[in-house]
Amino acid sequence: MRIALRLIASILALGAVRGAETGMAVIPATIYRPLFRGEKDAKEMPVAAFQLDVRPVTNGEFLAFVRGHPHWQRSRVPRLFADNGYLAHWAGDADLGNARAEQPVTNVSWFAAKAFAAAQGKRLPTTAEWEVAAAAGFTLGDGKKDAAFQQAIAHWYASPSPLVVPDAGGGHENIFGVRDLHGLVWEWTSDFNSAMVTGDARGDTGLERQLFCGAGSLGASDRENYPAFMRFGFRSSLRAGYTVHNLGFRCATNP
Amino acid sequence: MRLPTALPLLALAAFAAFATQAALAADPAPGPTAAEDPPCCRDPLELGKPTDKSLYLLDSTWTSDVGREIKLGALRGRPQVVAMFFTHCEYACPIFVSELKSIEDKLPPDVLGKVDFLLVSMDVKRDTPAALAAFRATRGLARERWTLLRGEADDVRELAALLGVNFMEDARGQFAHSNLITLLNSEGEIVFQHVGLNQDPTLLIAAIEKTARDAKR
Repeated sequence: MRIALRLIASILALGAVRGAETGMAVIPATIYRPLFRGEKDAKEMPVAAFQLDVRPVTNGEFLAFVRGHPHWQRSRVPRLFADNGYLAHWAGDADLGNARAEQPVTNVSWFAAKAFAAAQGKRLPTTAEWEVAAAAGFTLGDGKKDAAFQQAIAHWYASPSPLVVPDAGGGHENIFGVRDLHGLVWEWTSDFNSAMVTGDARGDTGLERQLFCGAGSLGASDRENYPAFMRFGFRSSLRAGYTVHNLGFRCATNP
Repeated sequence: MRLPTALPLLALAAFAAFATQAALAADPAPGPTAAEDPPCCRDPLELGKPTDKSLYLLDSTWTSDVGREIKLGALRGRPQVVAMFFTHCEYACPIFVSELKSIEDKLPPDVLGKVDFLLVSMDVKRDTPAALAAFRATRGLARERWTLLRGEADDVRELAALLGVNFMEDARGQFAHSNLITLLNSEGEIVFQHVGLNQDPTLLIAAIEKTARDAKR
């Protein structure tokens, strides 16, 4: 049954990619298995088809955005919406300095990412959407079965971030035609603050019971999935105004 | 879509009136001010543009349990003790709200008149203004001091993200969420956060007393 579903998903995907908007790939409707869920929650949750940018948003694209929306420039954005590291790797409000236009934009807050997406008529992907796109392998719909894919992501999560961020779009494309979901930068999701784990999650022992109402009922569905633990830990440690040197984003739309 | 039609509004008004009476019955404490509007519905002060870090920069629209639509900036001028919750909570929220009330009880009278309490629901589907009004009545939340708000899903997510409240709905419609009490100063800036249940509130209370001195109303 599962294999059949995956096959269908892959076939649909291959057909659908051609119909996607330029620079976006269609991720077909699929099933998401959340890493953390309540004991009585469904193990699987449907995710409707959506389109996802094939690569993260770049410095060059973000520069065009702040030129058109000056209130998102470095010196003008209220601290509420972005901390003082916002676009800190640029030389000025509308000056990339040593940052290359092709690199993924980082040091952007959730608010800034959301505003960029809205300006393109897009939105940020939900965590579920991002995770199902990121779970697809290079050659198999199920990345867990794709040895080359597994090796590539384990390598990235185990490596320190490089001093110079590589250009966006240089990664190996997955079966849906999406690149750089692993191996380049972390990415914002629209509901990043739904992650109910602390930064140090090991199974459910890492859940901060004093902090979270109902947290005692949550457990991890796949204790082997270390990269997913890292992403959940990272997301749950974020605040909407934070900027991080290796945190960027990409956009999504409904099909 | 955000504007309720006239009929539910009327029903609401009737319900709110009922709820108010119930609240008065349940909470006999401060007498003369009890008929006042909730903090959200006072006449706004003319205070100019909010500061760079003020939550009152948010442009989202919220509906209070008395049915009034407001921007958060309407709360400007007086410090706010803010928490996110939902009325159908089976876990810790009843304790959480009791903690907020016990903090209210511990404040000296001169401070009490200069600080408000704000509860924002994360249950977009079920926490209608009427549900919030019923909650105010059953929990005896003083009308002149407590604001109860509901908002649209994106706006709730955004406010939660600013406060650092993480939440997730489970299959039974319960929300796992952070137990976080945030103190906003009269400008709407976060000045203190109190984390967790059953934690010593001494520091929070001291912060409230200090912040209340800067109240502008």
